Amino acid sequence: MTTTPSKASPALPVDEETRRLAAVHRYLALDTPPDGTFDRIASLAARIFDAPMATVTIVGSDRVWVKGAHGLPGPPRTGRVPGLCASAVLQDGPYVVTDARTDSRTRGNPLVEGDPGVRFYAAAPLTTAHGQRLGTVDVLDTRPRRPTGAQLDSLRELAALAMDAFELRLSAARTIAAERERRTGAERLARALQRTLLPPTLPEVPGLQAAAAYHTASQHEVGGDFYDLFPLDDGRWAFFLGDVCGKGADAAALTSLTRYTLRAAAIYDPDPCAALANLDLVLKGEYQGGAPRYCTAVFGVLEPLPDGSFSVTLAGGGHPPALALRADGTVQPISTMGGQLIGMLPAPRFVRTTTTLSAGESLLLYTDGLTEARTPDGAMLGEDGLTRYLAAAHAVGATDDPQRALLRSIETLLDNLGEGVSDDTALMALSVPAHPETPLQENR
Amino acid sequence: MTEPAHLTVTPSHATEGVFLLSVTGELDYHTSSLLTDAVNEAPFADENVIIDLSGLTYCDSTGITVLITAYNRSRATESQLSLTGVNPDQMRVFELIGLDQVFTFHSTPEEAVSAMRS
Repeated sequence: MTTTPSKASPALPVDEETRRLAAVHRYLALDTPPDGTFDRIASLAARIFDAPMATVTIVGSDRVWVKGAHGLPGPPRTGRVPGLCASAVLQDGPYVVTDARTDSRTRGNPLVEGDPGVRFYAAAPLTTAHGQRLGTVDVLDTRPRRPTGAQLDSLRELAALAMDAFELRLSAARTIAAERERRTGAERLARALQRTLLPPTLPEVPGLQAAAAYHTASQHEVGGDFYDLFPLDDGRWAFFLGDVCGKGADAAALTSLTRYTLRAAAIYDPDPCAALANLDLVLKGEYQGGAPRYCTAVFGVLEPLPDGSFSVTLAGGGHPPALALRADGTVQPISTMGGQLIGMLPAPRFVRTTTTLSAGESLLLYTDGLTEARTPDGAMLGEDGLTRYLAAAHAVGATDDPQRALLRSIETLLDNLGEGVSDDTALMALSVPAHPETPLQENR
Repeated sequence: MTEPAHLTVTPSHATEGVFLLSVTGELDYHTSSLLTDAVNEAPFADENVIIDLSGLTYCDSTGITVLITAYNRSRATESQLSLTGVNPDQMRVFELIGLDQVFTFHSTPEEAVSAMRS
């Protein structure tokens, strides 16, 4: 098989063929679905000529793609051999071979000399708006014949119709590609925005070890979990952790509003319930009328006590209970059950609770991405599962570095759950070291 | 990738003056607009409304916003709203976010209808 054009089908000038092939690749990249459009065009062409076979082809540099066919006896041959469509694509008007046996242009063509023994061939080129000829709509017969002018006109019309179908697909494919690009860009932006919503590092709280982590479930859908830890101006510290409903850029915007509102609210009135009530008012004002949105959160205030422990006052608005890991290895829920979600209810109730963190004790805050994760047997991890896991992990790994060990064990848990974690998860651990640093001796 | 979530919402009348929305499938970020439209079109001003969730297989936070929207509409129009057929897992989520204090629950639409009559 040769790709060298014979005398019978002169080649296009190199530049023109290069431009033509560029156009061919644009349309071939479409990988047209076998939805039957081009088969129907081929079938119509065959009927107009009362011929047994017809095809819609695209002619590449060394092969022919058959995009639609009617009546072909076997799988289409794909080599680009001069004489039939490879030659037809080189000229503007219809290309007609009335008897291939006697026509010098088709000499050596396997479709003529072998199966199915083509004698008659007529083709009209598929021509783009820019004048590039991509391929053909063609009709084949095993008998020699002479087409009428009306038949050739119809063939040209069918070629124009096939070209329209290709154009439509190209334009749809471009629209889809542009839309996909735009979405990916928007998600990337939302993801970047979300990173700016989390503090890059938590501040140093004297006498306390604090660590936080954000586990991303999907690169494609941004969740809206948030946390923060910051000083109040009276020696106390405030922290919060929560989860806004929804995903994507809207959720990121809501997260931003939530975080800054809670920080500002804490300065105005650090009472945890007041901070959540303030957030509730702001969210209701912001999302009034439009698509309503809510968040759930825990807001807390830490107060260092003279003995090195910390008193913790927590308020919850619809958020899963924090878990206290006690020095004796027990895991105790610090529940704010009864507290309601923030931002949508007419008069939400927030529930306050207090606890103390002594030496060797930790408090874990988390979003429901963790407790709603599926274990390998398909069940939800749940608070009970998390509690059991933490109790077991604590028994194994007594350590001087409790908050890091705690987060590490949760991250191991998240890794093990793998795809079972379907939502973003935020984690914060606040720990009072078991062996507080020896105070500087003043009388040395 | 998983298949796109599927949700159907079927409006009907449970009895005269009681409008029923039967929700089946997964109520989430991708499907919730279907229920939002149904809630917005529901005749809260003239009738009591039941949302039957017995066919609900999944509900995420976006789905919950739609249920709260329905609650807020019923409050604004002083009509009654009842959620029916809520499964225990879903009820646990409602408890966690405090919605068990907000909604009226019945096990079936029939039960909700007789409660609304009394």
